[in-house]
Amino acid sequence: MRRVVITGTGMVSPLGCGTEATWARLLAGQNAARKVTEFEVEDLPAKIACRIPFGDGTDATFNADDWMEPKEQRKVDPFIVYAMAAADMALADAGWKPESNEDQIATGVLIGSGIGGLEGIVEGGYTLRDKGPRRISPFFIPGRLINLASGQVSIRHKLRGPNHSVVTACSTGAHAIGDASRLIALGDADVMVAGGAESPICRISLAGFAACKALSTQHNDNPEKASRPYDVDRDGFVMGEGAGVVILEELEHAKARGAKIYAEVVGYGLSGDAFHITAPSEDGDGAYRCMQMALKRAGLTAADVDYINAHGTSTMADTIELAAVERLVGEHASKISMSSTKSAIGHLLGAAGAVEAIFSALAIRDNIAPPTLNLDNPSIETKIDLVPHVARKREINVALSNSFGFGGTNASLVLRRYTGA
Amino acid sequence: MRRIVVTGMGAISPLAAGVEASWSRLLAGHSGLRRLPDEVVADLGSKIAGTVPTPADDAEAGFDPDRIVPPKDQRKMDRFILLALAAAEEAIEQSGWKPASATEQQRTATVIASGIGGFPAISEAVRTVDQRGVRRLSPFTVPSFLVNLAAGQVSIRHGFKGPIGAPVTACAAGVQAIGDAARMIRAHEADIAICGGAEACINTISLGGFAAARSLSTGFNETPHRASRPFDIDRDGFVMGEGAGIVVIEALEHALARGATPIAELVGYGTTADAHHITSGPEDGAGARRAMEIAIAQAGLRPGDIRHLNAHATSTPVGDRGEIEAIKSVFGRNGEIAVSATKSATGHLLGAAGGLEAVFTVLALRDQTVPPTLNLETPDPAADGIDIVSGAARKMPLDHAISNGFGFGGVNASVIFRRWAA
Repeated sequence: MRRVVITGTGMVSPLGCGTEATWARLLAGQNAARKVTEFEVEDLPAKIACRIPFGDGTDATFNADDWMEPKEQRKVDPFIVYAMAAADMALADAGWKPESNEDQIATGVLIGSGIGGLEGIVEGGYTLRDKGPRRISPFFIPGRLINLASGQVSIRHKLRGPNHSVVTACSTGAHAIGDASRLIALGDADVMVAGGAESPICRISLAGFAACKALSTQHNDNPEKASRPYDVDRDGFVMGEGAGVVILEELEHAKARGAKIYAEVVGYGLSGDAFHITAPSEDGDGAYRCMQMALKRAGLTAADVDYINAHGTSTMADTIELAAVERLVGEHASKISMSSTKSAIGHLLGAAGAVEAIFSALAIRDNIAPPTLNLDNPSIETKIDLVPHVARKREINVALSNSFGFGGTNASLVLRRYTGA
Repeated sequence: MRRIVVTGMGAISPLAAGVEASWSRLLAGHSGLRRLPDEVVADLGSKIAGTVPTPADDAEAGFDPDRIVPPKDQRKMDRFILLALAAAEEAIEQSGWKPASATEQQRTATVIASGIGGFPAISEAVRTVDQRGVRRLSPFTVPSFLVNLAAGQVSIRHGFKGPIGAPVTACAAGVQAIGDAARMIRAHEADIAICGGAEACINTISLGGFAAARSLSTGFNETPHRASRPFDIDRDGFVMGEGAGIVVIEALEHALARGATPIAELVGYGTTADAHHITSGPEDGAGARRAMEIAIAQAGLRPGDIRHLNAHATSTPVGDRGEIEAIKSVFGRNGEIAVSATKSATGHLLGAAGGLEAVFTVLALRDQTVPPTLNLETPDPAADGIDIVSGAARKMPLDHAISNGFGFGGVNASVIFRRWAA
């Protein structure tokens, strides 16, 4: 099968607009959680979130007008705007601007979202209730449809290869990158714009995820302390928003045009728990199998893994993942660093896997593992280095990124340093 | 590359619950479209849809949800998930696939698409929050509206522990689910897959939204059977349908080793983007043409080898026109391919359409019978030179057939099946 490399990245995250700004702040230990002030949260059990820093575009703030005309923004849910921004950045970073018919046809898009345009659906419901169905906008449907992130990106950049979009809840971003890599590996496309986007921070989703007992509710007065993967005081995830997009490219295609290569996507594993709609199976077997499958596809063993970007959402499930990793790596545990970057940016749901795959590529590029914030008292003993509080400089040649979602869906990506061989 | 065969099919459609009942009614020229109650359609211009018949509507083949999921558990899932579970049940039973060992479970993928997913559940949640407060929201709210919970629920019920997927590419999603599953099998990530689509969003907000996008038929509210009229000059929009279409596909050697009976072979798949407009395709159907060409090339066929096409044809003026041009550019203008638009009978099942139409395409090969296109009274002159099967079903020899699915955002996908000759 054909080899696939990452040649561009773009990101809108709660730590900033842009990959490098986010990465620098992540390594510096910054935390994006804060109290939600944009809408009423008094009656909600969870009153905090990791919002994107909105602003005029300076100092890595996110100015939507930089990425989409104001009148176009009004027609779509924010996840589409974030996706457009991240895709623009990624394509520019990769230096890929397909002009010929041949290049446009060889380039596809696969951007997913876990819940898509929830806010817009809610607004549509109010329009319906208050003003009647005839006042619903003609852009209501195309502004909410999840695949319109892929659609809008393809239209803007004239990308006429495979156009796809997936939903696998909180593993969406990883599945999107894995599925897009498969499209390239099997020859359906040479270049794919792939990732995830999410804009879930509204009353109904904060209420809905709290009703599933998934959100942190005990740290509303100290938002920065709320996302604390592996810590004894963790009590749920903190919702985040944003988008992560990578440019995936067939290796020879990338080399022929002299593209910079972040890392090679060498493995992709996916599995189902077939256990419960919202809870992972306690034995972590689904997570274990998907990591194992990804390593097998990569032709690697657990001994080769240097860094793991954990799913680690700061819920009870953290220790299930940790146990699955320990089962996977066995005696090599002490050589592995594993961190949860959700401690800094919260849980971006369908965008999480994409943003975290980018962090994993950067960990390889810079030989540094980003920190797990708030890990004051680990709830479980492990020989694995969980990178508490501060980033760790260390050699990283192989990174594994995990994402797991409601419905019992698991995805793992394995990235390896590209050395020219 | 691994060869892939279809070994099971399931369908819940506006024509009937069940594959054979839906198919026999389709061949007999029945319509599944009906007038909706006033409380649903309010003052909307479009007042009709293809709802799945209840046992009260249809004693012979109505859909009884209680046979699939106990009433108390039905509240924990939006209707598209329920329909997916029902169609999957039928498909899995026909395929005879009951994975017993851990390996068999882990090699079974579940890929079920939906274009819209849980709009109705979200609307319901908003009502609950507004009227009774956030703390009355059910813990099942989120897992009832998540699109991937159709695949998730099927996998949980049957113990399928392989890959899970859920394409959401609007009205092409069902075809892309089948294409994704085929790719997983070819990449050796799974040996067998339950794949297709499910949709159930016939409520005021979805109807209002598609009506606002000027996608729905509004001129036939008093004669619902006549409203979906693909390729007819008087077509004026699609009629929304609900349902689910699921197929079980597997590697040929896997099917043969376990003694399963192949129904057809999946030989080609192609997918492209228009990169043109968010809700309409280009008039020349260039993206649709490329999707069909890629699928034909992957199948190692020439266009002349394919004798039947199940068109996407939703009955919209612009959409049908683009597909007409695409069909002519791939298959010529001399009526070489028998074209059916089964949405004339079922309405447009959005993300489930590709799944249901794949079932119909496989059945056409099995029975060497092409289903009719209803309401083709005055064919669009643009379709001159295309053999649109209308009036009655047609018996004819068929070795290969192609099914198209296109969606908002400019997505195109085509899948080709080959008759299974044992």
